[in-house]
Amino acid sequence: MGNKKRIGRSYWSNIWEKFKRNKLAVFGLIFVCILILLGISAPWLAPYPYDEVHYEAVWTPPCREFLAGTDQLGRDIFSRLLYSLRNAIIVGLGAQSLIVVIGLTLGLIAGFYGGKTDNILMRIVDIVYSFPSYLLNIILVLVLGRGYFSIFVAIAATGWAGMARLVRGQTLSTKSRDFVEAARASGAGNNRIMFRYILPNIIGPVIYSIFSGIPGVMLVESGLSLIGLGVRPPMPSWGLMISEGTGQFLYNPYMLLAPAGMLVLTILSFNFVAFGLRDALSARE
Amino acid sequence: MTQYIIKRIGWIIFNLLVLSLIAFILIKNVPGSFLELQILIGQAGTMGTGLTISEVEKVRGVETEMMKRWGEDVPLWQQYLTFIKGLVTLDMGPSFRWPTQTIEEIIANTFPVSFTIAILAVTIAIIIGIPLGVLAALKQNSWIDYLVSALVMVVSAIPNYVMAVFVIFLFSFWIPILPTYGWGQPKNYILPVLAMSFGPIGSIAGYMRTSLLDALKQDYIRTAWAKGGTERHVIFGHAMKNSLIPLVTILGPMISHLILGTVFVEGMFGVPGMGQYFSQAAGSRDYPLMMAQTVIFGLILMIMNLIVDIIYFFLDPRIRVSRR
Repeated sequence: MGNKKRIGRSYWSNIWEKFKRNKLAVFGLIFVCILILLGISAPWLAPYPYDEVHYEAVWTPPCREFLAGTDQLGRDIFSRLLYSLRNAIIVGLGAQSLIVVIGLTLGLIAGFYGGKTDNILMRIVDIVYSFPSYLLNIILVLVLGRGYFSIFVAIAATGWAGMARLVRGQTLSTKSRDFVEAARASGAGNNRIMFRYILPNIIGPVIYSIFSGIPGVMLVESGLSLIGLGVRPPMPSWGLMISEGTGQFLYNPYMLLAPAGMLVLTILSFNFVAFGLRDALSARE
Repeated sequence: MTQYIIKRIGWIIFNLLVLSLIAFILIKNVPGSFLELQILIGQAGTMGTGLTISEVEKVRGVETEMMKRWGEDVPLWQQYLTFIKGLVTLDMGPSFRWPTQTIEEIIANTFPVSFTIAILAVTIAIIIGIPLGVLAALKQNSWIDYLVSALVMVVSAIPNYVMAVFVIFLFSFWIPILPTYGWGQPKNYILPVLAMSFGPIGSIAGYMRTSLLDALKQDYIRTAWAKGGTERHVIFGHAMKNSLIPLVTILGPMISHLILGTVFVEGMFGVPGMGQYFSQAAGSRDYPLMMAQTVIFGLILMIMNLIVDIIYFFLDPRIRVSRR
């Protein structure tokens, strides 16, 4: 038992060593941590509630009182940005967790058992993969109603196929390795081999895929709220704020630049971490 | 090869059936209906005076009449069969929201618009993205490489609906030469195409860079150098040719994504394309149009994937050999 733990640590410290060398990736990771902390503490950090209107101060440019200005109802944009960040992170992490749970389980089963199970599962994956995901997202949100949960389900319903494919491929190449045979020889059952032996060895690419998928999910959410199908107003979302700011660009450019800038910054930080992870993982092999 | 294509087409038909069934079941379960929405809008129009009982009766009468006309008075499985029959025979009847137009007319009018824009955007992305990627790969770790890589990252992180605003600001306000709205003239295409091409430029340049760097490390490149090939010969004749092949795989999904994934940009420029019609249909619960568009778009996606695979087959000799 102690022996296995040591090996596990060296796998991660190996990747961490490679990852640390990439300055941009470390920078991205620090930023991701800061953004997540900001998102979590939004209710305490925000100077105003996200839906508090100040009719005496509509369209105020950024100043000391309103750090990022106010919108057409006099709501503080800085507070709304913090809450949007929080929403984006909730949606990003929530939808990705659902994708991981479905994709990892089905991919492991398909890759490990092979044969008929694999054929049927991969056929389903192929079908889901060929679906117009954006349209199905819209339809699913219409069916389930607006809210966090329906956005998770809508995004995960079409997004799990890619994860399942990745996990299946990794499982296929891992299950023929010697330590799996050794585990089987020492009497480990199928479930134990899948989750205790194969899973820890394929977790690297899975984590890369999680990180590289989060920006995509955030963009889908912001796209949905842009056409009025994201989180329910007055709860802010970058998509909604961008669409409100679009018409104001000539007069109050901060209304567009603030949410768009935050969106781009968040996506870039996640992408940097993903690129760094990819390089660190591929250098190992 | 013919056998492979026939098999693939068989699967496409099967996938489309599954997709249409899923779309049908989902859309039939969407809360609210077109008629309910129209009634609500009508009530809002009378400013809350509400309808009298006889008027409600009248509305109910109209409702059953409309249901009959749209074929919604029969069991669900029969409706599904009618829908499939309509798809196959290209006779899907009128849309709810645009009752004077049939669904096939709407698709026939909007698809070419979206398709042209997508193809133009991808063409621009190829023309700009490939040289950028090649330049970055050939000057690896120089300032050019860093500049291109940074540009690629930033540009692919900016959603096209934000790009659209910047493009409008630049070419309609700052240098007022292009119209932001209207349709029918070639110049109306320029801004939407431009706004949509930035993302693809980023991904194509990034893809080209990695794939060329990868190709330059291969043994056959060393052989080509050893045989005394000139720089032009080795890089453009051998490395470039092979690094372009993986690019084909991302072009198919990219085009089909651009055809419909650009609802916002179409809305912003007033482009009468498929995406805009879909979001309006979804907003007004125009079910037949939504279902038809979902299936048609699925078909486009699958055909694109098939075409890409066929092109790949002809481009990459390794696949041709292994499949034989």
